Amino acid sequence: MKLLDRYNRISLLVTVLVIIITGIVYYFTISYILTYQVDKDLMVEENEIFEEIKLNHRLPQVFKSEDLKINFQSVGQDSVQRRFLDTQYWDDKDHEEESGRGLISSVSLNGVNYRITIIESKVETEDLIRMIFFITLGIILILVVVLTLINRLVIRNLWRPFYLMLRQIKLFNVTDHSSINKLDTRIEEFKEMNEEVSAMSLRVRRDYEELKNFVENASHELMTPLAVINSKLDTLAQDHEITNKQGTLIGELYNSVSKMKKLNKSMLLLSRLENRLIQEQELLNLKQKVLEATGDFQELLTAKKLKMHTHLHDAQITMNKDLLDVLLNNLLGNAIRHNHPEGEIEVKLNPGVLTIANTGRPEELKSDLIFQRFHKSPESDGTGLGLTLAREICESSGYRLSYAYVNNKHTFTINF
Amino acid sequence: MKLLVVEDEAGLRDGIRDYFTEAGNICETVGDYQDALQKINVYRYDCIILDITLPQGNGLDILQAIKRSRYPDGVLIISAKNSLDDRLQGLDLGADDYLTKPFHLSELRARVMAIVRRKSFDGNQLIVFNEIQLDMLAKSVTVNDLAVKLTKKEYALLLYFIANKGKVISKNALAEHLWGDGIDLSDNFDFIYSHIKNVRKKLMDAGSKDYIQSAYGMGYKFSE
Repeated sequence: MKLLDRYNRISLLVTVLVIIITGIVYYFTISYILTYQVDKDLMVEENEIFEEIKLNHRLPQVFKSEDLKINFQSVGQDSVQRRFLDTQYWDDKDHEEESGRGLISSVSLNGVNYRITIIESKVETEDLIRMIFFITLGIILILVVVLTLINRLVIRNLWRPFYLMLRQIKLFNVTDHSSINKLDTRIEEFKEMNEEVSAMSLRVRRDYEELKNFVENASHELMTPLAVINSKLDTLAQDHEITNKQGTLIGELYNSVSKMKKLNKSMLLLSRLENRLIQEQELLNLKQKVLEATGDFQELLTAKKLKMHTHLHDAQITMNKDLLDVLLNNLLGNAIRHNHPEGEIEVKLNPGVLTIANTGRPEELKSDLIFQRFHKSPESDGTGLGLTLAREICESSGYRLSYAYVNNKHTFTINF
Repeated sequence: MKLLVVEDEAGLRDGIRDYFTEAGNICETVGDYQDALQKINVYRYDCIILDITLPQGNGLDILQAIKRSRYPDGVLIISAKNSLDDRLQGLDLGADDYLTKPFHLSELRARVMAIVRRKSFDGNQLIVFNEIQLDMLAKSVTVNDLAVKLTKKEYALLLYFIANKGKVISKNALAEHLWGDGIDLSDNFDFIYSHIKNVRKKLMDAGSKDYIQSAYGMGYKFSE
């Protein structure tokens, strides 16, 4: 539930409750006051009757009145309790029962007790109370409407900076160069939050960039000592007195240096890709490129007695030329390396889709794992970055690389 | 062949010097920017191997100085930076080639030889090694005037061997030269063996002597 809705619900509920309670209090108060007023009228009337009796020593003539009825009744020697009461009033004009207020009193005349009943119509009072009720109801309605409108317009407007900020936070990506902008708001809380979030985004991005730079610098710095080791090995290999055992050792050293070099280059390329440093793109003839790449691997295919089937249609792709080379080399290299002797490789190119499928270990790979950094099969001697790099290259160019195990073939598909 | 190596890393500088120094070659080395500027303004070289990142200056400035003075020296840039921008910038400024660190000395030598050959044998595109003759233009090989049909890769392999004659070349260097280092094939060198076997067989079938020797565990050597 949104804060706004929740707030609206609570505030409306409370408002309506308060208004209803107010209405009830109003009703009773006004009712009381009015009844008191009517009672006073009744008492005035009673006094007039007493005075009349005192003056004339007989019961007064009762006139028909609009909203007052007086009645005398002889009760003999019985005493009558003086009291006010709510009762009915028969309206002669409208011919209907109305609520009324009565006063029962007594007077003694010539030794006979008379009960005096004075009833006054309360219809006006009721009208008044009804009016008050409707006004209260009206106020409730108006308040609900006004509050809803205020919430819709004013509060929504007030919260706008919050939603703007939220959208920015949602869009914030540490790898691209967007940052969370300062918002122009006069509301203290939002201002403070915005400043903090904005500062935090800058901090996060700076940390991330420092880390990226560290990876890049570290990889760079490693290149020079690697170059020295490599050149020393090249020099050492020229020695005429190297025994077979030493030769094997040197060969192994070469392999390790070579692997480290590849690892380093892959890491550098990855960090450059993630930093979006490789921008240059061009429209390339993909068929031509695939032909070149497969041609390059011809000797390796023969050495491993692999069969390569190619079904290539004309297709063009927009991306960086060097990255495309790395991508194709990676995927084709994998298809050869992870193949078994006399296996098959199938390369299909149609506009928008390139698939490279190869036989190999007869077992589906976990597609969520193979693209992870440094994930590799136990028997693989690679860097573990090849597929990560391939996917990153595709993604940075706006394409998709996916894996599936189809017809006993490990199939990599690029949708472009 | 007279070379100048401008490289601040002593280990690498000496490695290059040792690899290139042999009968008929002079290889001079300098370790910093000022010395390099002095050298290039006084002496002429067939090829200058130039590191871009130097302690007191940028190698690209040295390259510009060479080009401004219209010195004919070939320039090969070596740099730890593999950024595409750097490479283009170096080549735009007139460098003949660009090699990313770390590299195999055999690769450096093949590149230097190619530059020197382009610079010095204008028109003459023949490389002769005893009875073997390579035509750089037609990319064809003859042994005692008998044509040998080599594939593109086999031709590249032979050229690489001849540029590094008398040197042991590691299998890694051969693989990277022929297939680039983008591919990860270090666990499978059988293909190099079969590849070399093919070249050797084709040459010997045409009447060449067997020049390719195996250096146990390390690689191969092409020599008399």
